[in-house]
Amino acid sequence: MPCQISLEKLSKTYRVTERAAGAAAAFRSLYHRTYKEVHAVRDISFTLDEGEVVGFLGPNGAGKTTTLKMLAGLLHPSAGTAQVLGHTPWRREHAYLRQISLVMGNRNQLLWDIPAMDSFLVNQAVYRIPEAEFRSTVDELVELLDLSELLRKPVRNLSLGERMKCELAASLLHRPRVLFLDEPTLGVDLTMQGRIRAFVAEHNRRTGATVLLTSHYMADVTALCKRVIVIHHGTMLFDGGLDDLAQRIAPYKLVKIDVESPEAAARAAAFGNVVEVDGVRITLQTPKAEAAATVGRLLAELPVVDLTVEDPPIEQVIGQVFAAEAGETPQAC
Amino acid sequence: MLTYWWQVYRANLRASWAMMAQYRMVVLIWALWGFVGPLVSLAVWSATASAHGGPVGQGGASFTTSDFAAYFLLFMIYGHITMSWDVFEFAYRVRTGSLSPKLLRPLHPIHEDAASNIGFKLFTTTLLIPIWAAIYLMLRPSPPTSYWWIPASLPSLALAAVMRYVLQYVLAILSFWTTRIDAVNQLYFTLDSFLSGRVAPLALLPGGLAAAAQATPFRYMGSFPVEVALGKLTPHQVLTGMAVQVAWLVAVLLLLHWTWRAGVRQYSAAGA
Repeated sequence: MPCQISLEKLSKTYRVTERAAGAAAAFRSLYHRTYKEVHAVRDISFTLDEGEVVGFLGPNGAGKTTTLKMLAGLLHPSAGTAQVLGHTPWRREHAYLRQISLVMGNRNQLLWDIPAMDSFLVNQAVYRIPEAEFRSTVDELVELLDLSELLRKPVRNLSLGERMKCELAASLLHRPRVLFLDEPTLGVDLTMQGRIRAFVAEHNRRTGATVLLTSHYMADVTALCKRVIVIHHGTMLFDGGLDDLAQRIAPYKLVKIDVESPEAAARAAAFGNVVEVDGVRITLQTPKAEAAATVGRLLAELPVVDLTVEDPPIEQVIGQVFAAEAGETPQAC
Repeated sequence: MLTYWWQVYRANLRASWAMMAQYRMVVLIWALWGFVGPLVSLAVWSATASAHGGPVGQGGASFTTSDFAAYFLLFMIYGHITMSWDVFEFAYRVRTGSLSPKLLRPLHPIHEDAASNIGFKLFTTTLLIPIWAAIYLMLRPSPPTSYWWIPASLPSLALAAVMRYVLQYVLAILSFWTTRIDAVNQLYFTLDSFLSGRVAPLALLPGGLAAAAQATPFRYMGSFPVEVALGKLTPHQVLTGMAVQVAWLVAVLLLLHWTWRAGVRQYSAAGA
């Protein structure tokens, strides 16, 4: 499949003023300002093919949103290059902007005081969407996102989740070929998160749009993305399959056992690293290569009532990545 | 292409009317706010003319109470048509990052804002016409030398409106560099009040200040179309003045182009 997004050593450095607290420091800063360089994104390189849905992960301040904003043409990079659909994003050519969308969970494009449908009509004119195409797209979005009751209400009267659904719809009216989603499920309840996820998956299936998604909810990522890119402190740590991430970052298994007595539970520490004890239920962490042998020994030497072997939850894997310093853990990139 | 712009402005006009309909009283208060300056100036100058016991000023630049009424009533109407307030809104958007969704569209945000500006004026003018008529009947202002001067002033009024709008937008764009643009705007508003003829007809300003006013764009966004409508200028002065307006308009459009390009590059605001 043709490559639609390509970044080469993309970097963004902000120059910010800094001063100590207090009136004296405030006065000094009037005639002598000190600046600090903040490297929000450093030398990021990756490519995305047409139709891919990729999760872009990292803790707060990792540089995810800055990268997305550069790709959407909102920010100019300090160094590096990027091509999206054959365009340099920050040139902001209208031919480019007509083919993309950036949905930000904490930003509204909808006009606050009037029904969402009025904003849709403005988008129809701005994006030059023919009437028949506009009607059919709106009908499709109404059906997929269950918007029929929402489009006639002033946006300010909608709940956060309802507003997010309308924001998504407004961003998709012109059928963008590339969709940047920045925390699309931020602050919405679990049911609505599920709906939005299902919608993004269905939209990708129907239109073949390429999707780059950031989210703090791992459920969004596991439901939608086979591939993830992890960044931390502006540096890329990992680019690959979600399964591969667990293999490389957390090459261990979790063995959960129920034993007959608390005395037996106390002996479990001899078989691996105990990560959790809940009465007679114990969770052990053991290297993947040794998992089978450990299970054999447990069954042979302890009065085991029940036993399961699991991969560590993806949240835990990602947490492990974030906890490590970017420069010290080039495990997977 | 023309159809595209028509559709864009029509859609934005509709949206702006829908928003104004939600806040009718606030819109009316804003519209009435535009009255205050010219009304205060009118009261002061009428009192001066009465105390003077005759026209204020000399020769062709003298004003009776009725002349002041005509000047400031027209200034009130033309001021309403040329008013612009984008600085406040734009600075807020840059500060909070709410400009970002507008930058993602394949359309310069000035068009959405200009449509909203036009929408406000069309919406409020219908409310203000009876008030202007009542003021006219109360004050009995001097008629223009010929009523033909009123339609003749419309091209210069249109140029003044576009010029003021674009210049205000340039000021608004400065928010990319300083999010506390209010101080700059206050300086602009103070200069504009004196040099556009809002506080006093420029002919009555002290010599040096009157000459300085001619060299700035403020007169051409303010009193110039009023002077044309009152028939105070010769046809040659009208045409020369309009040529100056066009020159200023080209200058502010170039300024808009440069500041916008540099400003968007600069946009990395806290909330971007």
